[in-house]
Amino acid sequence: MSSDARIELRDVTVRHGRCIALEGISGAFAGGSLTAVVGANGTGKSTLLGVIAGTIRPSTGTVLRAVDERPAYLPQVISIDIGYPLTVAELIALGGWREFGSFWAPGVAVIEAAAEAARTVGLSGHLHRRIGQLSVGQLQRALFARLILQDASMILLDEPFASVDAQTIEVLLDRIEHWHRQGRTVIVVLHDLGLVRSQFPDTLVLAQRCIAWGPTASALAALAA
Amino acid sequence: MTPYALVLAPFETLDFMRTALVACLALALSNGVVGTLLVLRRMSMDADVLGHAVMPGAAIGFLFGGPSPTWLSVGGLVSGLAVGMLADLMAQGRGRDDSGLVAFYLLALSFGVVLVTWRGSNIDVVRVLFGTVLSIDHRSLLQIAAATTAILLLVAALYRPLAVASFDPVFLRAVGARVPYRTIFTSLVVLALVSSFQAFGTLLAIGPMLLPAAAAQCWGFGAAGSMALASAFGLLASIAGLLISYHANLPSGPAIILAAGCLLTASMVITRIIHRASATIGSSA
Repeated sequence: MSSDARIELRDVTVRHGRCIALEGISGAFAGGSLTAVVGANGTGKSTLLGVIAGTIRPSTGTVLRAVDERPAYLPQVISIDIGYPLTVAELIALGGWREFGSFWAPGVAVIEAAAEAARTVGLSGHLHRRIGQLSVGQLQRALFARLILQDASMILLDEPFASVDAQTIEVLLDRIEHWHRQGRTVIVVLHDLGLVRSQFPDTLVLAQRCIAWGPTASALAALAA
Repeated sequence: MTPYALVLAPFETLDFMRTALVACLALALSNGVVGTLLVLRRMSMDADVLGHAVMPGAAIGFLFGGPSPTWLSVGGLVSGLAVGMLADLMAQGRGRDDSGLVAFYLLALSFGVVLVTWRGSNIDVVRVLFGTVLSIDHRSLLQIAAATTAILLLVAALYRPLAVASFDPVFLRAVGARVPYRTIFTSLVVLALVSSFQAFGTLLAIGPMLLPAAAAQCWGFGAAGSMALASAFGLLASIAGLLISYHANLPSGPAIILAAGCLLTASMVITRIIHRASATIGSSA
């Protein structure tokens, strides 16, 4: 594993039964890099993020981490059941899980940090609302606030701007740039190639296999070809 | 008939009514908690199938020990846990298969009935299918109390991960929680079903778990509030069902389930009226 790599994949393949979701992916995400993962639907983007997050085990190949730390992972919003009677404050406070663990309630410090994170993403007035009462954009902001509390050195975002209004995209992009400036490694699955060109220095193009991986301009040129 | 003769006298004068009431109180506590989590996790159908998974084991227990509550419970617990684990493994491998669940439900029920009829009588079959809450003895009461205590302690200790596993399981895995919470929850459901089994039988055991929880859910409280309300509804339905059963000479288990059904219907109607009224006030303000 190279010295500046935060996470390295070596010939990673994921199969779901007979179906191959991801095949022979090798490469490294450098520490502090900001990478977009693009590709058509069903090309293994979410699977790749799951592998990096540790929620999906590769069928073959290995994932090497620079430090023994779990990345903060935001899956697609549809994977969350918003019918559960949970307030925004409680959802955000879960970001402090590492501190309070499975058996204890969040302490005062975590609750205060949750309120501060909600303010950062513009949700101060919504702390006591149920998550089921939020719009998609507000829920995404709440999940970003949870990521803030997780305070991880690597952040994985799966289609964070899907069904989200322009104003919310601006707030979330601002947060991603902030994480990048702080030197955190950020990997984002996206479909908006214009956004990728303007905001993301590096891009990984997937079609089950790795089509291109490197500086955005050259990677997207490979996609067009 | 005086209110005393209607409500208090049956419990004051008859030992089996008091024992049944205490058993129902214990079951209402555990069922309220587990039932609320079931409804929130949208696992009602799975729990119904698990209820029938208890049947073959209970029937094998019946073959060994006759209509002994201990043998029936041990057999039911073993087969319920085995099927629960199997279902969890299948759920990890592929999507939900409703036809498989229904097939299992029918086969488990038929197999159990055949086994009990083979060595027992039709009365035994009815007892296994519908339970006999009024014949609960002190030993069974202790079993129910022990199961309720274990369930309440486990849910109190594991509430947070059980809750997160139900609405955002990916987050739980991503923060490194490797404990199989789904399997733990399935085991809790099986334990609750087995402890309800003698009172309500394999066909109805899911009723006092789901109906009060579904009724409590209508009122829109948080998870803890819904659990408390579901337990209160469960107790209320039990008292009403026992009294109806006593005065009208009806089977007690179905009477309790029907009372719980009335509470669910009333909750749905009243909360709908309240929501409409508040929406009207809100739009005119």
